[in-house]
Amino acid sequence: MGYEITLLTTMGISILFALSLNLITGFCGQISLGHAAFLGIGAYASALSTKAGAPFFLAVLFAMAFAGIIGVVVGLASLRVRADFLAITTMGVGFLFVGIVRQQDALGGELGISGIPDTGLSRPAFMVLTLILAAIAAALSIYIKRAWMGRVFAGIAEDEDTMRVLGIDAPSYKLAAFAIGTALAGVAGALYAHHLKFIGPESFGFVESITVLSMVVVGGIGSVAGVAIAAALLSVLPAWFQIIGDYKLLVYGGLLFLMMRFAPGGLAGIFASAMQSRNRTTNRGKP
Amino acid sequence: MIGWKKTARHCAAVALAAVGLVTGPVSAQTQTKIGFNVPLTGFAAADGASALNGAKLAIAQANANGGLGGKPIELVVYDDQGIAKEAVPAVTKMIEKDGVVVGVSGSYSGSTRAAASIFQTAKIPYVTAYAIHPEITLAGDFMFRVSAMGEVQGRAGAKLVNDLGKKKVVIVTIKNDFGQALAAGFKEAAVKFGLTIQNEYEYGLPDRQFGPIASKIKADNPDIIYASGYFYTAGPLVSQLRSAGITAPIIGQEGYDSDKFIEIAGAASEGVYVTTSLDRDSDAAATKSFLTEYKKATNAGPDMVAASSYTAVAVAIEGLKKTGGKGGDALRDAIAGLTYDSPIGKLSFNDLHEVAKDVQVQIVKDKAFRRHSVISDPVLLAPPTKKK
Amino acid sequence: MLYVELIAQGLVQGCIYAAIALGLTLVYGLLRILHVAHAALFTLGAYIGVLTTNATGSLALAFVAAMLVSGVAGVAVFRLGYQPILNRPPFVALIASIGLYIAAEEIFRIVFGASGLSFVAAPLQSQVPIFGGLQFKQAEIAVMLGTALIIAVLAYLQNRTRIGVACQATVSDPQMAESFGVSLQMVRDINFFVGSALAAFAGVWVGLLNNLVEPTMGSVPAYKALAIIVLGGLGSVQGTLLAALTLGIIESFGTIYLGKVLDRNAIAFAFLIAVLLVRPQGMFASK
Repeated sequence: MGYEITLLTTMGISILFALSLNLITGFCGQISLGHAAFLGIGAYASALSTKAGAPFFLAVLFAMAFAGIIGVVVGLASLRVRADFLAITTMGVGFLFVGIVRQQDALGGELGISGIPDTGLSRPAFMVLTLILAAIAAALSIYIKRAWMGRVFAGIAEDEDTMRVLGIDAPSYKLAAFAIGTALAGVAGALYAHHLKFIGPESFGFVESITVLSMVVVGGIGSVAGVAIAAALLSVLPAWFQIIGDYKLLVYGGLLFLMMRFAPGGLAGIFASAMQSRNRTTNRGKP
Repeated sequence: MIGWKKTARHCAAVALAAVGLVTGPVSAQTQTKIGFNVPLTGFAAADGASALNGAKLAIAQANANGGLGGKPIELVVYDDQGIAKEAVPAVTKMIEKDGVVVGVSGSYSGSTRAAASIFQTAKIPYVTAYAIHPEITLAGDFMFRVSAMGEVQGRAGAKLVNDLGKKKVVIVTIKNDFGQALAAGFKEAAVKFGLTIQNEYEYGLPDRQFGPIASKIKADNPDIIYASGYFYTAGPLVSQLRSAGITAPIIGQEGYDSDKFIEIAGAASEGVYVTTSLDRDSDAAATKSFLTEYKKATNAGPDMVAASSYTAVAVAIEGLKKTGGKGGDALRDAIAGLTYDSPIGKLSFNDLHEVAKDVQVQIVKDKAFRRHSVISDPVLLAPPTKKK
Repeated sequence: MLYVELIAQGLVQGCIYAAIALGLTLVYGLLRILHVAHAALFTLGAYIGVLTTNATGSLALAFVAAMLVSGVAGVAVFRLGYQPILNRPPFVALIASIGLYIAAEEIFRIVFGASGLSFVAAPLQSQVPIFGGLQFKQAEIAVMLGTALIIAVLAYLQNRTRIGVACQATVSDPQMAESFGVSLQMVRDINFFVGSALAAFAGVWVGLLNNLVEPTMGSVPAYKALAIIVLGGLGSVQGTLLAALTLGIIESFGTIYLGKVLDRNAIAFAFLIAVLLVRPQGMFASK
């Protein structure tokens, strides 16, 4: 049982984390190559608070607020740059985060933080909490997507200049996307830290940022269900791939490439075209 | 309410014990499994390959000698990529699905640290081969480590500087837990020996270009250089220090301890000191037989990682032989009570389950590691104990 | 004196960066792809370089072989990988490229071993005294001369030959160039060939400087080259060159004087972010 619980917890955290990036990159079209920094900010903020004696739930809230605030600051800076420049700037933010954490003794430096206290929840209860939070993030995503905000996001993703011409305050909406997305990443970070009970600077580097971006793109950028499924699958793939041992990462990389090459719309795209072709076949009978 | 909870916990404990009694003899029928987490892919794959070779050799030798009561022992191998996130599901799986009675870490500190608390919670002994993070053994009484901790090795480095009669030192530190621990130990002991630390430079694990550091060290003009790293960083580092015209001796640590280091640094590796746990010129039977057997089995030169992983697995097997295959508390106590002749010296664990042993100083001579001296100072090299 | 040495060391590193980033900027200028797998071609070149030198003893032959093989591989990556997804959003190609890079890294590890390869008898390793105690490895001097030479040759070809002019025209206005009878396919193939050959050129030098080629040797260039072409203003050859050399020198001084505060990558990206905040179009962009 414990193994399945571990896998499901990992999945829940990944789904939450991927959905948080989907808000920024999927809905609002702002590519981020440094999203793991916010996972890290949440993880460190919560770990330090529970180590200082704060209750777990308070620590999660703190992680969320702290990551969101830093997210707004980074968002403000990112307003100046667009598209590929933004991608590289956010990548820089990721490297800066790791670089700074490494040198702070208060954050454990290279040794990281270990002995993160228990949450007071049993492992199954922690798993349930994680899955509930992931479900809330999914519901929130769907709500935002359908609301006015979601339409503006889509508009900005499509063509930011037109939105500006229409008199829409694009920068504020982009900031909102950053704030919500990074705050959710902070929550994911708090769960991550209290699941693994050990965090170090290397856990939140470029590779992690790339991994979460691949979850979003493989799921089908902007699709809540697609991203959630992709995050669930990709997060446990390495564990399942233990069987193929030495070829694990080769297959992982190869799958990413083939997926983009032959199904650039991701899982959501595959699903949509499957539905379409079925409709076509069912419609064929009726004139 | 609290009383009820307590009673429930007692009942659960009794029930578990009962299950243990029932399943105990049954599981003894099947093969005894030793779990092994190791970075086979990712940034640490080179060391992972060596570690796996060492572990496999220990298993093969044990099985050739009749295994455990006539039955072969099985090594259950999981790749953890050297990162905490991958190690957690891997070791959870080996504990729950494979039912390993003892775990061995052939991996780096990040993944070992994360795995440690899982083994501790499951009350399964976990023997760490070469990860040096100080908090691994602090995870609990089921943790063991067969290698000297970073701080201890750092102190040995400072003593070597003093023994060589040098005073002015420049430290080059690799930015990870290994380098940080070494530097901390070195600086602590440097005060004791009255050494002058002129400067300290840091570099990252992916760095291979050390030109700027070499230029600055040349200007510092130290008596000796204490540089931490792994063979793949140390090879280029040593070679670039020498080609900048620096002639001061260089001290490395067990991360250098691979023939690959000599291959990469080439002529520049001559005369480099390495503080490590494997003595190539040892007279000890355990070391000699390991050196020849490893060469025979893998057709490659043994290194520190292989020797430590071999030792960690061998210690686990030795413990299992004492308990007749039983795990849990019995195995923990059996391992804790062992005195074991290993390729990396005579081992016995203190109350924190750390080992106290001499540090071997090797020097590169004619493209091979040779014995230079042995640092034997039980006070200076004392590992931390429980009380600390 | 120390400063002279630090600048010189920075230039050596800068030249390596330049050769890698130039290839990347050629690709970006033409196709707007953030081509992470460029670093895999760099690694491929390094491997071919060591293998050829060890087999034949000729470094010159090694350069030719490495550049040819990587060049052809680069064209194959473009034709089979990117060409079919060119009209997709840019992150599709980015993720495909990342997948390709991960898979390539694994192939190098599985085929040639995790601990990498070294030269049996590494050429150009002896010291050359310059003046006043300043000395270099032959290879370090050769890197600088070689990079200068190859850039000069490229500049000549670009400005004085029909194909070079066609390439330039295609970058600035593909439709117009095509209407003048320029084959887009040919121009793109040539760009990938030349860009990948440049990466291989850098790869052989890095192998020679470190006497070590490893599966993971491309992981730093994979992202740092992206940072450099952004600094240089995305697609600008002169800008990329200047950015590469500047970054080399900044890192050289940074590792000595800022090493305690930030690591090498963080220094590079702090510089990048600072520049982008002041000049969002890049440090050396023409516009």
